[in-house]
Amino acid sequence: MGAIIWGTSGKHVTSAQNRTILICSGKGGVGKTTLTANLGIALAKQGARTAVLDADFGLRNLDLLLGLENRIVYTAQEVLSGSCRLEQALVKHKQEPNLSLLPAGNPRMLEWLTPDDMKKIAGLLAEQFDYVLIDCPAGIEDGFKNAAAACREAIVVTTPEVSAVRDADRVIGLLQTREIEPIQLVLNRVRPRMMANQEMLSVSDVTDILALPLLGLVLEDDQVIISTNRGEPLTLNGTRSPAGQAYTNVARRLRGEEVPLADPTKEGQGLRAKLGRLMHTKIF
Amino acid sequence: MAAEFVPAARSGLSHQLLLPAAGPEAAPLPKQVSRGLHGVISYGELLLQSGDWLLTVADLRGLERQLAAHRLELVGVEGRQALTLVAAAAIGLATHLQQSSGPGPSPDSHNSPDLVIQRGTLRSGDHLQVEGTALVLGDVNPGARVSAGGHVLVWGRLRGVAHAGCHGDPSARIVALQLRPLQLRIAEVIARGPEDSPPQGFCEQAHLVEGMIRIDPAEPGWPPFSG
Repeated sequence: MGAIIWGTSGKHVTSAQNRTILICSGKGGVGKTTLTANLGIALAKQGARTAVLDADFGLRNLDLLLGLENRIVYTAQEVLSGSCRLEQALVKHKQEPNLSLLPAGNPRMLEWLTPDDMKKIAGLLAEQFDYVLIDCPAGIEDGFKNAAAACREAIVVTTPEVSAVRDADRVIGLLQTREIEPIQLVLNRVRPRMMANQEMLSVSDVTDILALPLLGLVLEDDQVIISTNRGEPLTLNGTRSPAGQAYTNVARRLRGEEVPLADPTKEGQGLRAKLGRLMHTKIF
Repeated sequence: MAAEFVPAARSGLSHQLLLPAAGPEAAPLPKQVSRGLHGVISYGELLLQSGDWLLTVADLRGLERQLAAHRLELVGVEGRQALTLVAAAAIGLATHLQQSSGPGPSPDSHNSPDLVIQRGTLRSGDHLQVEGTALVLGDVNPGARVSAGGHVLVWGRLRGVAHAGCHGDPSARIVALQLRPLQLRIAEVIARGPEDSPPQGFCEQAHLVEGMIRIDPAEPGWPPFSG
Protein backbone atom coordinates (compact mmCIF):
# COMPACT_ATOMS: atom_id res chain seq x y z
CA MET A 1 0.00 0.00 0.00
CA GLY A 2 1.30 3.41 -0.89
CA ALA A 3 4.50 4.05 -2.75
CA ILE A 4 7.73 4.32 -0.88
CA ILE A 5 10.05 6.52 -2.78
CA TRP A 6 13.22 4.52 -2.57
CA GLY A 7 16.27 6.60 -3.28
CA THR A 8 16.19 6.69 -7.01
CA SER A 9 18.10 9.09 -9.15
CA GLY A 10 16.39 12.32 -9.96
CA LYS A 11 14.52 12.41 -6.68
CA HIS A 12 17.40 14.03 -4.89
CA VAL A 13 18.67 17.38 -5.92
CA THR A 14 22.18 17.46 -7.19
CA SER A 15 22.88 21.12 -7.92
CA ALA A 16 26.47 21.90 -7.13
CA GLN A 17 26.42 25.51 -6.02
CA ASN A 18 26.08 26.36 -2.39
CA ARG A 19 23.29 24.55 -0.64
CA THR A 20 22.00 25.84 2.65
CA ILE A 21 20.03 23.06 4.27
CA LEU A 22 17.83 23.23 7.33
CA ILE A 23 17.81 20.12 9.49
CA CYS A 24 14.63 20.09 11.51
CA SER A 25 12.02 17.81 13.05
CA GLY A 26 9.53 19.67 15.18
CA LYS A 27 9.77 17.18 18.02
CA GLY A 28 12.89 17.15 20.17
CA GLY A 29 15.18 14.20 20.65
CA VAL A 30 14.66 12.52 17.29
CA GLY A 31 18.21 13.08 16.10
CA LYS A 32 18.56 16.47 14.42
CA THR A 33 21.89 17.33 15.99
CA THR A 34 23.24 13.80 15.53
CA LEU A 35 22.30 13.93 11.87
CA THR A 36 23.84 17.39 11.45
CA ALA A 37 27.13 16.30 13.01
CA ASN A 38 27.37 13.01 11.12
CA LEU A 39 26.22 14.45 7.83
CA GLY A 40 28.67 17.34 8.22
CA ILE A 41 31.58 14.97 8.76
CA ALA A 42 30.49 12.65 5.96
CA LEU A 43 30.13 15.49 3.44
CA ALA A 44 33.50 16.89 4.45
CA LYS A 45 35.12 13.46 4.09
CA GLN A 46 33.67 13.24 0.60
CA GLY A 47 35.51 16.42 -0.26
CA ALA A 48 32.80 19.07 0.07
CA ARG A 49 33.58 22.24 1.98
CA THR A 50 30.99 22.08 4.72
CA ALA A 51 29.89 24.37 7.52
CA VAL A 52 27.54 23.42 10.32
CA LEU A 53 25.69 26.21 12.09
CA ASP A 54 24.12 25.62 15.46
CA ALA A 55 20.84 27.53 15.41
CA ASP A 56 19.71 25.97 18.67
CA PHE A 57 20.84 28.90 20.78
CA GLY A 58 18.85 27.94 23.82
CA LEU A 59 20.12 24.38 24.15
CA ARG A 60 23.23 24.17 22.06
CA ASN A 61 25.10 20.91 21.78
CA LEU A 62 26.32 20.52 18.23
CA ASP A 63 29.77 21.54 19.48
CA LEU A 64 29.61 18.70 22.02
CA LEU A 65 28.78 16.08 19.43
CA LEU A 66 31.63 17.22 17.24
CA GLY A 67 34.06 17.28 20.16
CA LEU A 68 34.81 20.96 19.60
CA GLU A 69 33.41 22.47 22.77
CA ASN A 70 36.77 23.46 24.23
CA ARG A 71 37.96 25.18 21.06
CA ILE A 72 35.28 27.81 20.85
CA VAL A 73 36.55 31.36 21.15
CA TYR A 74 33.98 33.46 19.31
CA THR A 75 30.40 32.62 18.36
CA ALA A 76 27.77 33.71 15.85
CA GLN A 77 26.87 36.44 18.31
CA GLU A 78 30.24 38.18 17.94
CA VAL A 79 30.09 37.81 14.16
CA LEU A 80 26.73 39.54 14.08
CA SER A 81 27.75 42.34 16.39
CA GLY A 82 30.84 42.92 14.28
CA SER A 83 33.29 42.31 17.09
CA CYS A 84 35.02 39.54 15.14
CA ARG A 85 35.32 38.28 11.59
CA LEU A 86 33.58 35.11 10.47
CA GLU A 87 36.92 33.33 10.02
CA GLN A 88 37.77 33.94 13.65
CA ALA A 89 34.55 32.42 14.91
CA LEU A 90 34.63 29.34 12.70
CA VAL A 91 36.03 26.28 14.47
CA LYS A 92 37.76 23.86 12.10
CA HIS A 93 37.29 20.21 12.95
CA LYS A 94 40.53 18.73 14.26
CA GLN A 95 40.53 15.63 12.04
CA GLU A 96 38.40 16.79 9.15
CA PRO A 97 39.56 20.24 8.05
CA ASN A 98 36.85 20.47 5.38
CA LEU A 99 34.31 20.87 8.18
CA SER A 100 33.84 24.04 10.19
CA LEU A 101 31.45 24.80 13.02
CA LEU A 102 29.92 28.19 13.66
CA PRO A 103 28.94 27.92 17.33
CA ALA A 104 25.76 29.31 18.82
CA GLY A 105 26.10 32.32 21.05
CA ASN A 106 24.69 32.49 24.52
CA PRO A 107 21.02 31.67 25.11
CA ARG A 108 20.12 35.34 25.48
CA MET A 109 20.58 35.73 21.73
CA LEU A 110 17.05 34.36 21.49
CA GLU A 111 15.76 37.68 22.80
CA TRP A 112 17.02 39.82 19.98
CA LEU A 113 17.88 37.56 17.04
CA THR A 114 15.77 38.20 13.92
CA PRO A 115 15.29 36.22 10.71
CA ASP A 116 17.42 38.84 8.96
CA ASP A 117 20.31 38.13 11.32
CA MET A 118 20.13 34.46 10.42
CA LYS A 119 20.00 35.30 6.74
CA LYS A 120 23.09 37.43 7.16
CA ILE A 121 25.06 34.67 8.87
CA ALA A 122 23.96 32.06 6.35
CA GLY A 123 24.84 34.42 3.51
CA LEU A 124 28.37 34.86 4.90
CA LEU A 125 28.80 31.10 5.22
CA ALA A 126 27.44 30.49 1.73
CA GLU A 127 30.29 32.51 0.25
CA GLN A 128 32.88 30.11 1.57
CA PHE A 129 31.26 26.69 1.72
CA ASP A 130 29.60 24.19 -0.60
CA TYR A 131 27.23 22.96 2.08
CA VAL A 132 25.83 24.88 5.03
CA LEU A 133 23.88 22.68 7.42
CA ILE A 134 21.72 24.52 9.94
CA ASP A 135 20.82 22.58 13.07
CA CYS A 136 17.33 23.80 13.87
CA PRO A 137 15.93 23.92 17.42
CA ALA A 138 12.94 21.77 18.30
CA GLY A 139 9.54 23.44 18.19
CA ILE A 140 8.00 25.82 15.68
CA GLU A 141 8.49 29.11 17.49
CA ASP A 142 10.94 31.93 16.84
CA GLY A 143 14.03 29.72 16.82
CA PHE A 144 12.55 27.62 14.05
CA LYS A 145 11.33 30.66 12.12
CA ASN A 146 14.73 32.33 12.28
CA ALA A 147 16.51 29.21 11.10
CA ALA A 148 13.98 28.54 8.32
CA ALA A 149 14.34 32.08 7.00
CA ALA A 150 17.96 31.39 6.15
CA CYS A 151 17.44 28.16 4.20
CA ARG A 152 16.41 27.17 0.72
CA GLU A 153 16.04 23.46 1.28
CA ALA A 154 15.39 21.21 4.23
CA ILE A 155 15.83 17.75 5.63
CA VAL A 156 13.13 16.64 8.04
CA VAL A 157 14.19 14.03 10.58
CA THR A 158 11.60 11.82 12.18
CA THR A 159 11.37 8.51 14.00
CA PRO A 160 8.72 5.85 13.38
CA GLU A 161 6.54 7.09 16.23
CA VAL A 162 3.15 8.69 15.95
CA SER A 163 4.11 11.82 17.87
CA ALA A 164 7.30 12.44 15.90
CA VAL A 165 5.49 11.91 12.59
CA ARG A 166 2.70 14.28 13.64
CA ASP A 167 5.18 17.02 14.52
CA ALA A 168 7.16 16.41 11.35
CA ASP A 169 3.95 16.78 9.33
CA ARG A 170 3.27 20.15 10.95
CA VAL A 171 6.80 21.33 10.25
CA ILE A 172 6.61 20.20 6.62
CA GLY A 173 3.42 22.24 6.22
CA LEU A 174 5.17 25.31 7.61
CA LEU A 175 8.22 24.79 5.40
CA GLN A 176 6.01 24.45 2.34
CA THR A 177 4.29 27.77 3.05
CA ARG A 178 7.77 29.29 3.08
CA GLU A 179 8.39 27.72 -0.32
CA ILE A 180 11.39 25.78 0.91
CA GLU A 181 12.14 23.17 -1.76
CA PRO A 182 13.12 20.36 -1.84
CA ILE A 183 12.19 18.89 1.52
CA GLN A 184 13.59 15.42 2.05
CA LEU A 185 13.05 12.89 4.78
CA VAL A 186 15.40 10.94 7.03
CA LEU A 187 13.77 8.21 9.08
CA ASN A 188 15.82 7.73 12.21
CA ARG A 189 16.01 5.07 14.92
CA VAL A 190 14.38 2.35 12.87
CA ARG A 191 14.10 -1.00 14.67
CA PRO A 192 13.73 -3.66 11.98
CA ARG A 193 12.48 -6.33 14.35
CA MET A 194 9.73 -4.16 15.77
CA MET A 195 8.76 -3.12 12.26
CA ALA A 196 8.61 -6.75 11.16
CA ASN A 197 6.35 -7.54 14.13
CA GLN A 198 4.21 -4.48 13.31
CA GLU A 199 4.90 -2.99 16.72
CA MET A 200 6.30 0.14 15.12
CA LEU A 201 5.08 2.34 12.28
CA SER A 202 6.43 0.91 9.05
CA VAL A 203 8.42 2.88 6.50
CA SER A 204 5.40 3.08 4.24
CA ASP A 205 3.16 4.22 7.13
CA VAL A 206 5.48 7.19 7.59
CA THR A 207 5.99 8.01 3.92
CA ASP A 208 2.25 7.67 3.29
CA ILE A 209 1.54 10.50 5.68
CA LEU A 210 4.52 12.73 5.07
CA ALA A 211 4.71 12.19 1.29
CA LEU A 212 8.35 13.21 0.95
CA PRO A 213 11.24 11.54 -0.87
CA LEU A 214 13.17 9.36 1.54
CA LEU A 215 16.79 10.41 1.80
CA GLY A 216 17.80 7.78 4.28
CA LEU A 217 16.88 5.14 6.83
CA VAL A 218 18.98 5.04 9.97
CA LEU A 219 18.79 1.97 12.16
CA GLU A 220 18.66 2.19 15.92
CA ASP A 221 22.25 1.75 17.01
CA ASP A 222 23.93 1.77 20.44
CA GLN A 223 27.06 3.16 18.85
CA VAL A 224 25.30 6.49 18.41
CA ILE A 225 25.17 7.00 22.17
CA ILE A 226 28.82 6.06 22.58
CA SER A 227 29.91 8.36 19.78
CA THR A 228 27.85 11.23 21.18
CA ASN A 229 29.45 10.87 24.58
CA ARG A 230 32.91 10.81 23.03
CA GLY A 231 32.32 13.72 20.71
CA GLU A 232 33.31 11.63 17.69
CA PRO A 233 30.59 11.30 15.05
CA LEU A 234 30.21 7.79 13.67
CA THR A 235 31.04 8.88 10.16
CA LEU A 236 34.44 10.17 11.27
CA ASN A 237 36.58 7.04 11.30
CA GLY A 238 34.70 4.80 8.97
CA THR A 239 33.18 2.55 11.58
CA ARG A 240 31.00 -0.09 10.04
CA SER A 241 28.19 0.49 12.47
CA PRO A 242 24.79 0.44 10.74
CA ALA A 243 23.99 4.01 11.72
CA GLY A 244 27.37 5.31 10.59
CA GLN A 245 26.90 3.70 7.19
CA ALA A 246 23.40 5.08 6.92
CA TYR A 247 24.64 8.62 7.60
CA THR A 248 27.39 8.23 5.01
CA ASN A 249 24.78 7.07 2.52
CA VAL A 250 22.57 10.07 3.31
CA ALA A 251 25.51 12.31 2.46
CA ARG A 252 26.13 10.46 -0.80
CA ARG A 253 22.48 10.71 -1.82
CA LEU A 254 22.46 14.38 -0.91
CA ARG A 255 25.36 14.87 -3.31
CA GLY A 256 23.41 13.18 -6.08
CA GLU A 257 24.89 9.69 -5.97
CA GLU A 258 22.52 6.83 -6.51
CA VAL A 259 22.66 4.64 -3.42
CA PRO A 260 19.87 2.12 -3.03
CA LEU A 261 18.00 2.16 0.27
CA ALA A 262 18.21 -1.08 2.20
CA ASP A 263 15.03 -2.81 3.25
CA PRO A 264 15.03 -2.43 7.05
CA THR A 265 13.24 -5.73 7.63
CA LYS A 266 16.13 -7.63 6.02
CA GLU A 267 18.89 -5.49 7.45
CA GLY A 268 21.71 -7.06 9.44
CA GLN A 269 20.18 -10.47 9.93
CA GLY A 270 22.91 -12.46 8.24
CA LEU A 271 25.58 -14.13 10.34
CA ARG A 272 28.28 -12.14 8.61
CA ALA A 273 26.66 -8.84 9.45
CA LYS A 274 26.29 -9.88 13.07
CA LEU A 275 29.91 -11.03 13.34
CA GLY A 276 31.08 -7.94 11.56
CA ARG A 277 29.23 -5.78 13.99
CA LEU A 278 30.69 -7.62 16.98
CA MET A 279 34.19 -7.13 15.59
CA HIS A 280 33.68 -3.42 15.16
CA THR A 281 31.85 -2.71 18.34
CA LYS A 282 33.87 -0.28 20.36
CA ILE A 283 33.75 -0.32 24.09
CA PHE A 284 35.14 2.52 26.13
CA MET B 1 -26.61 26.75 -25.93
CA ALA B 2 -29.10 25.88 -23.24
CA ALA B 3 -30.04 27.12 -19.83
CA GLU B 4 -27.79 25.71 -17.11
CA PHE B 5 -29.14 24.21 -13.92
CA VAL B 6 -26.92 24.68 -10.85
CA PRO B 7 -28.05 22.70 -7.81
CA ALA B 8 -27.83 24.33 -4.38
CA ALA B 9 -24.57 23.56 -2.59
CA ARG B 10 -26.42 23.04 0.67
CA SER B 11 -29.96 22.98 1.87
CA GLY B 12 -31.35 26.41 2.69
CA LEU B 13 -29.95 27.84 -0.52
CA SER B 14 -31.90 27.95 -3.77
CA HIS B 15 -31.01 26.06 -6.90
CA GLN B 16 -30.15 28.34 -9.77
CA LEU B 17 -31.03 28.40 -13.43
CA LEU B 18 -28.61 30.34 -15.60
CA LEU B 19 -29.85 31.56 -18.97
CA PRO B 20 -27.27 31.74 -21.74
CA ALA B 21 -26.48 35.02 -23.46
CA ALA B 22 -29.56 36.63 -24.98
CA GLY B 23 -29.58 37.57 -28.64
CA PRO B 24 -31.49 37.32 -31.90
CA GLU B 25 -30.15 33.80 -32.58
CA ALA B 26 -30.94 32.44 -29.13
CA ALA B 27 -33.59 29.73 -29.00
CA PRO B 28 -36.89 30.70 -27.34
CA LEU B 29 -37.04 30.49 -23.57
CA PRO B 30 -39.16 27.30 -23.16
CA LYS B 31 -36.77 25.35 -25.37
CA GLN B 32 -33.71 26.64 -23.47
CA VAL B 33 -35.27 25.68 -20.16
CA SER B 34 -36.44 22.22 -21.20
CA ARG B 35 -32.91 21.43 -22.40
CA GLY B 36 -31.39 22.83 -19.22
CA LEU B 37 -33.71 20.83 -16.96
CA HIS B 38 -33.21 17.59 -18.84
CA GLY B 39 -32.22 14.89 -16.37
CA VAL B 40 -32.37 17.18 -13.33
CA ILE B 41 -33.65 15.32 -10.25
CA SER B 42 -33.34 18.09 -7.64
CA TYR B 43 -36.46 19.89 -6.47
CA GLY B 44 -37.26 22.89 -4.30
CA GLU B 45 -36.78 26.61 -4.64
CA LEU B 46 -35.11 28.06 -7.68
CA LEU B 47 -33.56 31.39 -8.53
CA LEU B 48 -33.50 32.48 -12.16
CA GLN B 49 -30.39 34.22 -13.43
CA SER B 50 -31.95 36.01 -16.38
CA GLY B 51 -28.88 37.90 -17.55
CA ASP B 52 -29.83 40.16 -20.45
CA TRP B 53 -33.06 38.38 -21.31
CA LEU B 54 -36.14 40.56 -21.65
CA LEU B 55 -38.95 38.52 -20.12
CA THR B 56 -42.59 39.43 -19.81
CA VAL B 57 -45.12 38.29 -17.20
CA ALA B 58 -46.34 35.70 -19.71
CA ASP B 59 -42.82 34.36 -20.19
CA LEU B 60 -42.37 34.01 -16.46
CA ARG B 61 -45.75 32.32 -15.98
CA GLY B 62 -44.79 29.84 -18.71
CA LEU B 63 -41.48 29.23 -16.98
CA GLU B 64 -43.25 28.61 -13.66
CA ARG B 65 -45.40 25.93 -15.29
CA GLN B 66 -42.37 24.32 -16.85
CA LEU B 67 -40.55 24.30 -13.52
CA ALA B 68 -43.59 22.93 -11.69
CA ALA B 69 -43.35 19.81 -13.85
CA HIS B 70 -39.93 19.28 -12.23
CA ARG B 71 -41.21 20.11 -8.73
CA LEU B 72 -39.18 23.33 -8.82
CA GLU B 73 -40.61 26.60 -7.55
CA LEU B 74 -39.48 29.92 -8.99
CA VAL B 75 -38.83 32.24 -6.06
CA GLY B 76 -36.71 35.00 -7.51
CA VAL B 77 -35.15 36.57 -10.56
CA GLU B 78 -31.74 38.16 -10.78
CA GLY B 79 -30.77 39.96 -13.97
CA ARG B 80 -29.58 43.08 -15.72
CA GLN B 81 -32.86 44.01 -17.49
CA ALA B 82 -35.00 46.28 -15.34
CA LEU B 83 -38.14 45.42 -17.36
CA THR B 84 -37.69 41.70 -16.64
CA LEU B 85 -37.42 42.46 -12.97
CA VAL B 86 -40.53 44.64 -13.06
CA ALA B 87 -42.45 41.75 -14.60
CA ALA B 88 -41.07 39.38 -11.97
CA ALA B 89 -41.99 41.73 -9.15
CA ALA B 90 -45.49 42.05 -10.58
CA ILE B 91 -46.11 38.34 -10.04
CA GLY B 92 -44.68 38.41 -6.54
CA LEU B 93 -41.13 37.18 -7.10
CA ALA B 94 -38.07 38.49 -5.30
CA THR B 95 -35.86 40.49 -7.63
CA HIS B 96 -32.33 41.74 -7.72
CA LEU B 97 -30.85 44.06 -10.31
CA GLN B 98 -27.31 43.30 -11.39
CA GLN B 99 -25.11 46.11 -12.63
CA SER B 100 -23.67 45.33 -16.05
CA SER B 101 -20.00 44.80 -15.39
CA GLY B 102 -18.29 44.93 -18.73
CA PRO B 103 -18.75 42.50 -21.57
CA GLY B 104 -19.75 38.93 -20.82
CA PRO B 105 -19.78 38.72 -17.02
CA SER B 106 -19.24 35.12 -16.00
CA PRO B 107 -22.39 33.61 -14.58
CA ASP B 108 -20.22 31.19 -12.59
CA SER B 109 -18.95 33.98 -10.39
CA HIS B 110 -22.21 33.82 -8.43
CA ASN B 111 -21.66 30.21 -7.46
CA SER B 112 -17.92 30.04 -6.92
CA PRO B 113 -17.95 31.09 -3.23
CA ASP B 114 -20.05 27.99 -2.56
CA LEU B 115 -17.27 25.62 -3.54
CA VAL B 116 -13.75 26.16 -2.26
CA ILE B 117 -11.06 23.98 -3.76
CA GLN B 118 -7.98 23.27 -1.67
CA ARG B 119 -5.18 21.96 -3.84
CA GLY B 120 -2.67 19.91 -1.90
CA THR B 121 -2.55 17.99 1.32
CA LEU B 122 -3.67 19.52 4.60
CA ARG B 123 -0.98 18.74 7.14
CA SER B 124 -1.10 18.49 10.91
CA GLY B 125 -2.15 21.80 12.44
CA ASP B 126 -3.78 23.13 9.27
CA HIS B 127 -7.42 24.14 9.59
CA LEU B 128 -9.42 24.78 6.45
CA GLN B 129 -12.59 26.76 7.17
CA VAL B 130 -15.07 27.26 4.38
CA GLU B 131 -18.54 28.81 4.21
CA GLY B 132 -19.80 26.60 1.41
CA THR B 133 -18.55 23.20 0.31
CA ALA B 134 -14.89 22.25 0.70
CA LEU B 135 -13.16 20.11 -1.91
CA VAL B 136 -9.68 18.94 -0.91
CA LEU B 137 -7.54 17.64 -3.75
CA GLY B 138 -5.09 15.74 -1.57
CA ASP B 139 -5.06 14.12 1.84
CA VAL B 140 -6.27 15.45 5.15
CA ASN B 141 -3.54 14.21 7.49
CA PRO B 142 -3.98 13.31 11.15
CA GLY B 143 -4.03 16.52 13.17
CA ALA B 144 -5.52 18.60 10.34
CA ARG B 145 -9.14 19.85 10.29
CA VAL B 146 -11.65 20.79 7.65
CA SER B 147 -14.80 22.69 8.58
CA ALA B 148 -17.38 23.57 5.98
CA GLY B 149 -20.84 25.12 6.10
CA GLY B 150 -21.73 22.67 3.33
CA HIS B 151 -20.21 19.34 2.38
CA VAL B 152 -16.64 18.14 2.85
CA LEU B 153 -15.28 16.30 -0.18
CA VAL B 154 -11.80 14.79 -0.01
CA TRP B 155 -10.16 13.48 -3.15
CA GLY B 156 -7.63 11.55 -1.11
CA ARG B 157 -7.36 10.08 2.36
CA LEU B 158 -9.27 11.68 5.19
CA ARG B 159 -7.31 10.93 8.37
CA GLY B 160 -7.91 14.08 10.35
CA VAL B 161 -11.08 15.74 11.61
CA ALA B 162 -13.86 16.81 9.26
CA HIS B 163 -16.90 18.91 10.16
CA ALA B 164 -19.58 19.23 7.51
CA GLY B 165 -22.57 21.52 7.96
CA CYS B 166 -20.78 23.42 10.70
CA HIS B 167 -23.53 26.05 10.76
CA GLY B 168 -26.07 23.37 11.55
CA ASP B 169 -27.00 21.87 8.18
CA PRO B 170 -27.90 18.21 8.91
CA SER B 171 -28.01 17.23 5.24
CA ALA B 172 -24.30 17.93 4.76
CA ARG B 173 -22.12 14.96 3.91
CA ILE B 174 -18.48 13.97 4.17
CA VAL B 175 -17.10 12.03 1.23
CA ALA B 176 -13.55 10.74 0.83
CA LEU B 177 -11.68 8.29 -1.36
CA GLN B 178 -10.47 6.72 1.86
CA LEU B 179 -12.45 7.56 4.97
CA ARG B 180 -10.20 6.93 7.94
CA PRO B 181 -10.92 9.97 10.13
CA LEU B 182 -10.01 10.60 13.74
CA GLN B 183 -13.40 12.21 14.22
CA LEU B 184 -16.37 13.15 12.10
CA ARG B 185 -18.85 15.92 12.78
CA ILE B 186 -22.00 16.69 10.86
CA ALA B 187 -23.98 19.67 12.13
CA GLU B 188 -24.05 19.11 15.93
CA VAL B 189 -23.42 15.34 15.84
CA ILE B 190 -19.96 14.04 16.67
CA ALA B 191 -18.61 10.54 16.04
CA ARG B 192 -15.23 8.89 16.41
CA GLY B 193 -13.76 7.36 13.27
CA PRO B 194 -13.99 3.61 12.71
CA GLU B 195 -11.31 1.60 14.52
CA ASP B 196 -10.67 -0.98 11.83
CA SER B 197 -9.27 -0.33 8.39
CA PRO B 198 -11.72 0.68 5.70
CA PRO B 199 -12.15 -1.57 2.66
CA GLN B 200 -9.57 -0.83 0.01
CA GLY B 201 -10.59 0.97 -3.12
CA PHE B 202 -14.07 2.07 -2.10
CA CYS B 203 -15.01 5.69 -1.87
CA GLU B 204 -17.13 6.23 1.24
CA GLN B 205 -19.49 8.86 2.55
CA ALA B 206 -20.62 9.81 6.02
CA HIS B 207 -24.07 11.30 6.49
CA LEU B 208 -26.71 11.69 9.15
CA VAL B 209 -29.28 8.92 9.42
CA GLU B 210 -31.81 9.38 12.22
CA GLY B 211 -29.50 11.62 14.16
CA MET B 212 -26.48 9.29 13.92
CA ILE B 213 -23.49 9.55 11.63
CA ARG B 214 -23.40 6.58 9.32
CA ILE B 215 -20.73 5.54 6.82
CA ASP B 216 -21.87 4.00 3.55
CA PRO B 217 -20.33 3.43 0.15
CA ALA B 218 -20.45 6.72 -1.71
CA GLU B 219 -23.08 7.27 -4.39
CA PRO B 220 -21.55 7.63 -7.86
CA GLY B 221 -23.99 10.39 -8.86
CA TRP B 222 -23.38 12.57 -5.85
CA PRO B 223 -22.78 15.50 -5.47
CA PRO B 224 -25.05 16.40 -8.39
CA PHE B 225 -22.95 19.16 -9.90
CA SER B 226 -23.87 19.75 -13.48
CA GLY B 227 -21.86 21.31 -16.27
